Amino acid sequence: MNKLLVISVVFCLSGCQAVEPWQRGLLARPEMQLEPDRLQAKLNSQVYFSNEASSGSNDVAGAGCGCN
Amino acid sequence: MSSAALALPAFSAAPPDQIQFGLKTTAYRESDQDSGTVLAGSDQRYDINVNQFYLITPVGRNWSFAVDLSHESMSGASPWGTLAAVGADSQLVMSGATIEEARNELSLGATRYFERSSFAVSLTRSKENDYEADALAVNAEWDFNDKLSTLALGLSYSSDELEPTDALMFGRVSSETKQSRSLSLGWTQVLSRSSVLQSGFSITDHRGYLSDPYKLRDIRPDQRLETAINVRYRHFIEPVNSSLHLDYRFYRDDFGIRSHTLRGAWYQNLTSQFQLIPSMRYYSQNQADFYVAGDNYGLADTVFQSSDYRLSGFGALTFGLQGRFSRRDWSVSVNFERYLSSASYGLDASASEHPGLLQFNLLSLGFDIKL
Repeated sequence: MNKLLVISVVFCLSGCQAVEPWQRGLLARPEMQLEPDRLQAKLNSQVYFSNEASSGSNDVAGAGCGCN
Repeated sequence: MSSAALALPAFSAAPPDQIQFGLKTTAYRESDQDSGTVLAGSDQRYDINVNQFYLITPVGRNWSFAVDLSHESMSGASPWGTLAAVGADSQLVMSGATIEEARNELSLGATRYFERSSFAVSLTRSKENDYEADALAVNAEWDFNDKLSTLALGLSYSSDELEPTDALMFGRVSSETKQSRSLSLGWTQVLSRSSVLQSGFSITDHRGYLSDPYKLRDIRPDQRLETAINVRYRHFIEPVNSSLHLDYRFYRDDFGIRSHTLRGAWYQNLTSQFQLIPSMRYYSQNQADFYVAGDNYGLADTVFQSSDYRLSGFGALTFGLQGRFSRRDWSVSVNFERYLSSASYGLDASASEHPGLLQFNLLSLGFDIKL
């Protein structure tokens, strides 16, 4: 599993281009954010956590059960 | 391009320049259980109404504070047990339909921003009539490579306490605790002027009472170590004025569960103010090592077993559609999702499908504003 992470980081580093600050307009658009809808992301995380066996994201988990 | 966009360091945390808040109200409806699969109890699964609120405000030039609130009210029934007879389909023992519950969650957070880093701390409290959880999380981010690369580190600790209702009447545990520690590591890399990739790893250690106290026969280990790898890709496609989102997660734990989650979403800008977002998610997990198709009362109560549908092997599909109307400082959105789960969708499903697998609809109305 750690190998996968290393591979993906290496892929990131090798694949990237120099992007100047004035070329970052598209990246700054709301629909280009990793989580464009804060409340929807929290809601979906809770719903899937309650109904499936898996959890874990790049964002540290919150608290609570809310399980059926 | 606005000056605000110029100042954005892409994907590292930047101090907000405006007060932002949002509201969302959601109706979550599980499809009723097929009455032919119910041996006893109600066939009505859960209906949940969720109201959420958040506020993020800048404080001075280098700080921001955030408040998140949510309230859930639930009613319906849940599976208490599963009976499996040789040569016949499994059947469920359900609770009565009288379960009415509410959950409230409050989270307070503060972030301090520096030139090339940020540090955040948050406290979360979640309370139900039979479950309380307190969590502390700290997150740090560092920018590299002219802010094209961001390293994120997160740590969290949660302390949970459960006190099942009607414990004496049904012979349930009266009070138990659980502790969870989590670490996450993420690397976000701008690949080009229109694409970004985030790779991350998280590890969570749960200790304490991990069984389901409401099930008639549910005995799980008192430790669970979970690891997950996440990859998230965002790509803006200028000719069609759209953004493609692809997320993948591989998960494994020492209950013996492995899962794959793949989600894609397409953010189509139809006009400068209206956006349509179809999405699809695929999920597949195998069953836990101690999963049983039917509760086994012949086994000693020191032997692990669970007939929880969430520990069976199955797959799930979610189809979503969101519409968003945005003006300069506010937006309103409507989101619909349909979730279908089945053993036949799974890559490594259980030999017989669990009768309690869920189907649900989710409808949300959201409103966001910047002041």
